[in-house]
Amino acid sequence: MTARMSVPLARRQLLFRKGRTLAGIAGISAALLLVLALNAIFAGINDRLTAYIDGSGADVIVAQRGVDTMHMTQSALPEQTATAVVAVPGVAGAKPILYVPAMIERGEKRGIVYLIGDDSGGAPLPLSAGRRPDAGEIVLERSLAERLGATPGSSVRVFGQSFRVSGEVEGLASILNSVAFVRRQELARVLGIGGVVSYVLVRARPEVRAAELAARIETSVPGVTASTREAFARSERRVVGDMTTDIVRAMILVGFVIGVAVAGLVAYSATLSQLRDYAVLRALGLRARRAHALATAQVGATVVAGFLLALAFVWVLAAILPSLSPTLVLAIRTGDVAQALSVAAAVTLAAAAFPVLRVARIDPASVFRR
Amino acid sequence: MSQALVRIHGLVKIFGDGQTRVEAVRGLDLELQRGEIVLVMGPSGSGKTTLLSMLGGLLRVSEGAIWIDGTNIAALGERELPPFRARTFGFIFQDFNLVAALSARENVEVALNIAGGRGPSARERACTLLESMGLGDRLDFPVDKLSGGEKQRVAIARAIANGPALVLADEPTANLDSHHGAETMRLLRELAKEEGATVVIVSHDERLGEVADRVLWLEDGQLKALQALSRDPVCGMLIDPAEAPASIEQDGAPLYFCSRGCRDEFLAR
Repeated sequence: MTARMSVPLARRQLLFRKGRTLAGIAGISAALLLVLALNAIFAGINDRLTAYIDGSGADVIVAQRGVDTMHMTQSALPEQTATAVVAVPGVAGAKPILYVPAMIERGEKRGIVYLIGDDSGGAPLPLSAGRRPDAGEIVLERSLAERLGATPGSSVRVFGQSFRVSGEVEGLASILNSVAFVRRQELARVLGIGGVVSYVLVRARPEVRAAELAARIETSVPGVTASTREAFARSERRVVGDMTTDIVRAMILVGFVIGVAVAGLVAYSATLSQLRDYAVLRALGLRARRAHALATAQVGATVVAGFLLALAFVWVLAAILPSLSPTLVLAIRTGDVAQALSVAAAVTLAAAAFPVLRVARIDPASVFRR
Repeated sequence: MSQALVRIHGLVKIFGDGQTRVEAVRGLDLELQRGEIVLVMGPSGSGKTTLLSMLGGLLRVSEGAIWIDGTNIAALGERELPPFRARTFGFIFQDFNLVAALSARENVEVALNIAGGRGPSARERACTLLESMGLGDRLDFPVDKLSGGEKQRVAIARAIANGPALVLADEPTANLDSHHGAETMRLLRELAKEEGATVVIVSHDERLGEVADRVLWLEDGQLKALQALSRDPVCGMLIDPAEAPASIEQDGAPLYFCSRGCRDEFLAR
């Protein structure tokens, strides 16, 4: 008697008490939403974190030896490094940049940025408004500009100096930080440092592979670490990953515990209300294993529905949130969905234990008791 | 081997032990013929439900054997009992015990599913049974929307869906008005006489005696033939003359009493 029954018993029992089933689905959905949304938020941060690197046009990024990230990192190279890099065969161009964390202020409002000293003013990243910066000018990320109430022509203060906003870029800010561009020589002057750059962004000739060029640069130029753009972006993501892994794990645990509690409670109370039905079905000859499967199927269906609802909700959030808060970007990744699905499966197994244990104790002879 | 469908030998059921020990059924012997309707009556707590539960393979016996169509169900394991129950027994309950989440048809179909019947054939059989019971227009009704009589007919359809050899009915008319009670009695008789099923009814309803081939009295865990019992003229209780605590002779005929109190009250009249 292992074949499927033609009466969809589990579905009927779930639909019979719609209110409780919907409450269970909502509770489980909320628990799984914690896991999905948090992962999506961190994935969104990761995407934005490397947006500058991804759009910089560099094939190889050269940093001080031992440095392969920008976020929360310091790199200092002699200015001549760029000249040395250009001399390496296979290099089409090399652009030195300064990269420092800074506070940008406008009246009472302020925001943290990574200030990039770049003589091209952020090119080839497109501007969404205005023009590239000249001396005494700055390009802001649009979300920060909006937060500061700045538009092209407005003034902001950085390191105690006044800069006029010349233009805006878009899509480079996350909830953690933003990006702004000034001319490199000007930033060096403001900081009072000369002859030093943070990174050199290198373009490879078409016939040269980036990994090969990075290896050549490391061999030819002393005191540097050269990474391909992809490897550099990967390292950047790992920095945030390392910082957020514990938070994500904690939230997954919270989501799991809430999920088990909600699903277990719903399943157990549903089973209590169906004890008579289970006893009747057992008396009619339903095997214990089948009765357990019936109880588990109800929990599983509730959890799957809760998971799908949570997924749909995250999708809606991912579509709506950027228009409400441009820095809050949710990215839904297959791996994160799979992780939430495995949490859902664990919730099902754990929560199903409650009704299964109760069903296992049912005495079929109780059908004759009144 | 006789033609009996059911042979019960030396059946004992003991609950608890020590001071809480209760002997609900004591060394009971019984044979039930195919197509026979047997009504088991008796006071509350006499062991009727215990007997029915053991007979239906729902309760383990303490001692003795229950042979049903050549199989001693007392010796069947936990894995063998459920499929045996599904194939061999039909249960009818006082409270109908229909699955509220299912329609009338599905309540019958699920019994067929449990016994291995699947798909369109099971659905067709469920519909045919319900139609034969006058419930053709109630097939997809939720069972809680049905009247008591309709619910009992669904329960009977479910009980006979798998063509059981033995139908066990617990107070089948208790929750029904006289009209629906009579209808249920007719269906039970039809079941035995036309389908050849053996029907055991446990009830307090003496009207069921009209359809029964035999009426048995269960008291203190033992069966007695109702014809051999005498009625206490004061309280109306049925008493085994051999065990009557008090008796007198009146106009040359013996009168039996359940207690000396009843006898004294009778003599004081």
